[in-house]
Formats: sequence, C-alpha cells, structure tokens
Amino acid sequence: MVLNFKMWAGLIQNFNTVILNRSPSFLALAAALVLGAHVHGVQASELPKDSVDSIMWENVAKQFILSDQEGSDKIVMDDRVQVVAPKIAEDQMNIPVHVDARGIENVRKIVVIADLNPLPKVLTYRPEKAAPRLSFRIKVEQGTPIRAAVLDGKGVWHIGATYVDAAGGGCSQPALAHSQNDWVSTLAEVRAKIWRSPAKEFSTLRVTIKHPMDTGLADGIPAFYVEDLVVKTPSGQRLGRLEIHEPVSENPTLTLFPKIKGSVDHVVLSGRDNEGNLIKVSVPAPVQSSHLQK
Amino acid sequence: MDKIRRHLLLGAASSLAMPILPAYAETFQYDLKAVRIAQNSYVVIGKREFFTKENGGDIVNIAFISTSEGVVVIDTGPSQRYGVALKKLIKQTTGKEVVRVYNTHFHPDHCLGNQVFKTQDIAALPKTISGLKVSGDGFSDNLYRLLGDWMLGTELTIPGIPITFSSEKFGEHRFELLPMQGHTDADLAILDHTTGVLYAGDLCFLDRAATTPHADLQKWYEALKSLRKTPHKVIFPGHGPVDSTDRSIDQTDQYLRWLEGQLVASVKNGKDMIEASQMSVPPEFKSIDVIKDEIERSVAHLYPGLEEKLLPFVGQGDG
Ligand SMILES: [Zn+2]
Repeated sequence: MVLNFKMWAGLIQNFNTVILNRSPSFLALAAALVLGAHVHGVQASELPKDSVDSIMWENVAKQFILSDQEGSDKIVMDDRVQVVAPKIAEDQMNIPVHVDARGIENVRKIVVIADLNPLPKVLTYRPEKAAPRLSFRIKVEQGTPIRAAVLDGKGVWHIGATYVDAAGGGCSQPALAHSQNDWVSTLAEVRAKIWRSPAKEFSTLRVTIKHPMDTGLADGIPAFYVEDLVVKTPSGQRLGRLEIHEPVSENPTLTLFPKIKGSVDHVVLSGRDNEGNLIKVSVPAPVQSSHLQK
Repeated sequence: MDKIRRHLLLGAASSLAMPILPAYAETFQYDLKAVRIAQNSYVVIGKREFFTKENGGDIVNIAFISTSEGVVVIDTGPSQRYGVALKKLIKQTTGKEVVRVYNTHFHPDHCLGNQVFKTQDIAALPKTISGLKVSGDGFSDNLYRLLGDWMLGTELTIPGIPITFSSEKFGEHRFELLPMQGHTDADLAILDHTTGVLYAGDLCFLDRAATTPHADLQKWYEALKSLRKTPHKVIFPGHGPVDSTDRSIDQTDQYLRWLEGQLVASVKNGKDMIEASQMSVPPEFKSIDVIKDEIERSVAHLYPGLEEKLLPFVGQGDG
C-alpha cells in the first residue's frame, strides 16, 4: 500500500468525518491511516520550513494545499511570490493585501490563506488571461500569517507569506452594513473602472461590490458572501476567475490585471453570492492614451 | 476582553518583556510636568509619538486651570496610572480640588484617565458619551495590547454630564463650550474667555501628524475655519506645542487637504490601498512627526470611502 502525503492528508480528513459521523468503517480507516503513515507516508517533516514560522503551517499545507487534486505534492518556499500587507493592521476588518506571482511561469492559480483565521481560506484566483497578481482586502480574527500558494504549470506549489499583527475580533464582528438601515437597497451595487494603455500588456481593473460578506461567525448572522466572480470578454472568453471566501472584507474591493486586446471595448463581470443573488455588469475598457487620441 | 484574560495576557507579556525595558518603564510611572501658559493655566504636553510600551501612551496634551472654585481639567490621558499621576500633579501645582473635567472627544488617549475623577464632575458632548459607550471597551482593549502593563487597572469611565449648555463659569474663569465636528463626530473646543486660551482638542495638531480614524474631512475643514474666527490669544492643540500664531490651524488644514488630494489622485489613477500609502512627503511637512505612519493609517481610514465616491457605478446585481 502506497500512501503519498496527499492521500494521507485526505485520510485524516476522512478520519475526522468518520469520527463525527460515527461510521462503522471507522476502524478500517483508522487502521489504513496508521499503516499508511508507518510504511510510506510522507511525514510533515518533509514539508519545507515555513518562511513565517507559522504554528499552523503543517495543517494549512495538509488541508488546503496537499489535498488539492490539481497540484502535486511538491511545495517550495519561493521569494518570487510576494505577499504585501501592512505589518500592523490599522483596521482588522479591512487589511489591504497585494499578491504578486509574476516571477512564476504559467501560473494556474493563486490560493490565499490566512492561517489563524477561524475560516482560513481567503480566495482562489485563476489568472487565465491576466497577470498573476491581485489586490484585495481581508478581515482577520487575530494577528496571522497571510500566505499565497501559487500553482505553476508543472503542478509545483510556490509559497510566499507575510505576517500581519492585529488587535482581534475581525471575523466575528458584524459587518458595518448591519448598522445601516438601507443596506439591502444597495446590495450588490458594483463600481468599477479599467485603466488601459496600449503601452502595457495588462490593464488594471478595480472593482468594488456592496456586500456585507458575513462570515457566519457573528452572533445570529448567517454566512452571506459573494462566492465567485468571473471577468470575461464580450464574446465570452474568460480572463480571470475568482473563488471568494468569507474572510474577504465587507464590500469586496479588488484589483485585477486582465489582458484586454484589440477592439474589445468592455469586459463583463459576473458573479454570485452564496444565496444565489447574481451580479452581471459590463465595465467600459476604453484605451487611455494621448497618442491614440490624435 | 474580560479582566481575567487581560491579566493572563499581561502577565505573559511582562515576564518576557521585562529584561529589555528601560528602568522608567519597569515602574510604569509617568513623568508629567506642568507648564504655565497663562494666568492660572497649566498644560502637560505629551510626546509627539504613537502609543508604545516605552511611552505608556504619554502622547496627549492635557490642560488644567486653577480657578477660585477649584480646578478645571481638560482631558485625562490614556490610563488609570496616567490619571493618578495627573491628579497628583494638579494637587502639587494648585493645591486645589478638581471641580470639573472635560473630555474633548472620545479617543482613548483623552478619556481613559477618567476613572480617578468623579463621574459627576466629568462633562462631554452627548455624542462623545454615546461613542464611548459603544467603542470605549474596544479602545481600552486596543490600548492594553499596545501599552501592556501601563494599562493595568484601567477601566472605562463614562462622563456623567452631557454638555447641552454653551458655557460654564468657575470662579473668575468663563469657559465657552464650542461643539464642533470633523476629527470625530463630536469635538469640543473650549475657549477660556478670561485668558484667551483656546483649547482645541484634536481639531488641531502641531508638528505631530493628525489622526483620522473617525474623521470627516469636509467637516474638519469647517471646524478649522470657525476656530480661526473664534477670538483667541493662544491655541492649545490636542497634540504638539502651545501655539500663539495659529500655525496649528494652518498646518492641520494644509496637511489634511494635501492628504485628501493625494488619496483622491490615487483612486483616480487606479492605485490600491498599499500603493496609495507610498506617497512621498513634501518638504513643508518635514517638521511633522510620525507622518509616514499616520499616512498609512489614514489610507486605511479614508480610502474605502473615497473609492465608493469616485469609482464609477456600473450596475447592480439582482440582490
Ligand atoms: Zn483624537
């Protein structure tokens, strides 16, 4: 029986599920787990040392990286994955983060994780026809590492991370929207703008969506958040795709860098929240250049 | 945060931190000095810094006026220990009891010394009181985190007197109470008609960057205009030195307008918050302490609102 790390991690998850479900196959699985781990299982000690020394690194690697079927077991710490955030959070509900993986070739996706959040997974971005970089804002429950796991074309994970210190309480605090009476009327309002220049391969798209982004952790407020957002050309070609999770800040505000070519004069943003509300807007993409206006 | 957790946290923090802290911090004693700025009028001037475990939050300006009826105190400092030191200094300097305490606004460095005074002597604008009720405990937790043991024993004390009157007289001193807004949604400026000292609270900063966590810049500009029109001889800003030339009004106004202009331009140029924080500071603001740090904080406070205002509306989902 050969168990690689990913299977092992998968088994641990199954194991937990089994315990919770009190399934009769509990013993068989537990035995397989012990056997696998003893004989061929890749031990956590084989993980590269975490660049920010997170106590959660092993768990995060198992739960969010090694369990991902799209990638391999190969993980490297990589300076070329830059995660930029303030050292100390001024507002733990709204911490700006910029991830830049332009140093990595053929980026398939960028997975962002805040290790010590009760819900660690922040977002997954697939820059299909876009630069492998983005900006967003997150809320944290306490000081935490923020890391980006970047999957390259060969299935290797490249990890970059930074640490943000914070006062606490961001994830379990109700969204500000709930203290405003009219929040429902502006729900899913989208503001966006594209900066496009012929001198640059990638345009800049900034978008902000009115949404409370409830984590479900504040008393009496169920989870309610935008869960995906896709950028397409008018003919339907995908430029980038985002899977968004609860820790993204209220009124998600993102910067993406799509490649907008030729006569394309707008892009379409479409998305939905976890209650099925749909968003679909088009954003003009005029070429801004003094020499083209001659 | 409950008190038990505070104790546990602080215990752990202090045992680690003790060996590297300077001697004055080990005893957690504030070294406050009273400076006479006008007849019967004294000020305690804070360091032009941000909250640190070294300064214990002694970064705020406090004033006290010795009237024939007793002492009037303007703001109380960041902690119970500060309050104790302040009360001792007042007694040594004036030999009199405190009859009135004003909180200029609800920020913790101005209010958390309240508990050493009588609740029924402490007056503040109604919105300062309601703001403290909502956010006071959060502020206090945050200062425990930033200042550690300096905060031991500090409990939030809500002012007992809502200011719904426009002046008060103590002895020969008549205090005009000027309700304004901008730094927060309730900023109390106080003019002592007897001496001509205008106590501006945090509507005015001098050579220490203005802070904006609850700012409304348009209202702040209006407040600075009306402070300029209020007849006075000297301004005592909330942070920074005594000002007899209105430089604190000018500098606060110029800095905030420059900052707003930078942020507006950043939104219009497609920059995110991190890029927007990286602005270069012009030479005329060289004298302003902690300006880089405050700019970064101000971006966090002000940028989302500007984005909402300046990014074009493109549609709405079917929520
Ligand atoms: Zn203030």
